[in-house]
Amino acid sequence: MAFAIQFTIDVLSLGGAYALMALGLVIVYGILRLVNFAYGELIMVAGYTMFLASGSGLPWIIMALLAVVMAIVFGILTDYVAFRPVRAKSVTAVLITSFAFSNLLQNAALLFISPRPRNVPLPEIFSQTVTIGGAITPVRNLITIAASIVLLAAVAFLMRKTTLGIAMRAAATNFTMARMLGVPANLIISSAFALSGFLAGVVGILWIGRIGTVVPGVGLEPLLVAFIATVIGGMRSLPGAVVGGFLLALIDTTLNYTLSQDLLKFRDAFTFSLVILILLWRPQGLIKGPASGQRT
Amino acid sequence: MMKTSRLLLAATSFALASTAALAADDKIVIGGALSMTGIQAPLDTPGYNGAQVAVKFLNDNGGVLGKQIEFINIDGKSDPVTVGNVAVELIDKGAQVIVAPCDFDFGSPASREAQSAGLVGISTCASDPLYSSWSLGDKQFTLSMWNTTMGATAADFAFKEKGWKTAYVVTDQFIAYTKSLSKYFVEQFKADGGEVILEDTYTNGDNNFSAQLARLQALGKKPDVIFVSSYGTDIGVIIRALREVGYDAPILGGDAYDDPAMHQALGEKFGNDVYFVTHTWMGAGADPEMEKFIGLYKEMFGKDPDTSFVSTGWDTIMMIAQAIKAAGSTDGAAVAKALEDGQFKLLTGDLDYGTNEEGHVPNKAAALIELKGGKPTFVGWRKPESLPKP
Repeated sequence: MAFAIQFTIDVLSLGGAYALMALGLVIVYGILRLVNFAYGELIMVAGYTMFLASGSGLPWIIMALLAVVMAIVFGILTDYVAFRPVRAKSVTAVLITSFAFSNLLQNAALLFISPRPRNVPLPEIFSQTVTIGGAITPVRNLITIAASIVLLAAVAFLMRKTTLGIAMRAAATNFTMARMLGVPANLIISSAFALSGFLAGVVGILWIGRIGTVVPGVGLEPLLVAFIATVIGGMRSLPGAVVGGFLLALIDTTLNYTLSQDLLKFRDAFTFSLVILILLWRPQGLIKGPASGQRT
Repeated sequence: MMKTSRLLLAATSFALASTAALAADDKIVIGGALSMTGIQAPLDTPGYNGAQVAVKFLNDNGGVLGKQIEFINIDGKSDPVTVGNVAVELIDKGAQVIVAPCDFDFGSPASREAQSAGLVGISTCASDPLYSSWSLGDKQFTLSMWNTTMGATAADFAFKEKGWKTAYVVTDQFIAYTKSLSKYFVEQFKADGGEVILEDTYTNGDNNFSAQLARLQALGKKPDVIFVSSYGTDIGVIIRALREVGYDAPILGGDAYDDPAMHQALGEKFGNDVYFVTHTWMGAGADPEMEKFIGLYKEMFGKDPDTSFVSTGWDTIMMIAQAIKAAGSTDGAAVAKALEDGQFKLLTGDLDYGTNEEGHVPNKAAALIELKGGKPTFVGWRKPESLPKP
């Protein structure tokens, strides 16, 4: 029983984090059909904001809020610096500018802060544990689960019930038509980047909460995870990203628990083989997004 | 077309070679392929800083063989291919000795290029026994002790000094370093008479240790000592995960633990009873020369060094200078011979290389550090009586 509880909590907490990462990536992709490769750096920005704020004596929750705000600011900045100037011209250009912006941010952290890891302040609760049905669990895993449920519900509400969300979904389905019906393009795209930055900021705090330190390359793993999760779930579907995130966590955790020591060394090979199988079965991803319109 | 470009290439390389020969008359050029960016940067940038301090110190005191030393470093970008290309570029620029990154996977391409150009290559702190003359050639060295020493020191300390009889071993599958360190620890620990109750695997970047914990808990007994061989920020993740669920046995590891940010991240709560084997201790009691070095470092960079890896850079340059002096020239074979024959008193311990047939094994002592309340303290120098076979 303890094992089952342990396993479920592991899958849910890892999956919650993965789902939020994937959702942040797919919100921008859905509208622009462009992968924001600077997405991982938003997580890095959140981490370094925490590090820089750690000397200020502010309460932790304020520092965390500040980190999320900075991630949102940099999310919007990504739009203005890397996407907007070249958006209408060519996919290749945007691909390169988003890579360049990611590189720029990483190297700025390297140059102005340090290539060595820096400490991030964490509240006491992040290193406490509770026992649930015989399984000893870190409280931060439960926080991750709670945060992902709340955020996923909030995003679902935003997307279904608010004007902004409906406009964003309309833009994701057929951007040209949406614009003709009076949806302001720049506002929608900037909002998508802001939302993406918000999710990156929250996930950044949860993810870095596991690690305790921040390095310039901290965003690489989350970006990769988000990318794979969205590919599994369906590149254009918001529920797909969430399903993909949880599925990837389930695959990883199951392999972690079941593979023998000799095979565990090759876990990533097993994970990616499964991903390939899923894609052979459903080339569009598990959940098909809206019919693809022209890229705008 | 092919022919012309090849001719052009030959002509340029000839021109480069002649400028290199000219340059060599009034100065000695040491080329560095150290990574200033990427995952290797945390280990290479301190070495680079230490090397700069050493170059300035040597030049202020009359240089080597009456010549000034010039240290050119080109960013190897934590990419083995780039590191190799950078080494070629450095050799074209007239480098007479190559300083390679602090790891076998990232550093060996530079050493291979140095070897094929007939130059001495030294890694600042690669500790895998693959960094040997056996695999890289007769002019290649590493300043670091090998993992055989590192693993054996940890094992002897645990079993012989502390009397810890059972061990739990976690191995990160990241690079040769993380894998071989565990291997030599296990070999020595078993040879000493200890029992390894469980060996487990971790994947770098996972930041998730729960499956491993479940397997350890399923065992139903607690180990006397835990050996964790990992890399980068993942070490802190694993230690925290173990401590949080109540595994309070002492934790042992290698020089990858030598990172102040990790110590801080563990803090007062988790940074206890953690021991690691590393290159040196930056405070009092390790080496009489240390204070001088820290003074020079402060003069140059305006702050205290933040990790002991800075001394590997200083040591590498000082040892190269000493070998060039002994050889009387910068000729690759002569410098390699001087390194084999010489005895070097370094900040990172006394060093005496084995012969070419012995793989240039670095016979060296290891520094043992203990974390208490998140603060490192020096336990002492250790040298295992016997070593596992590389």
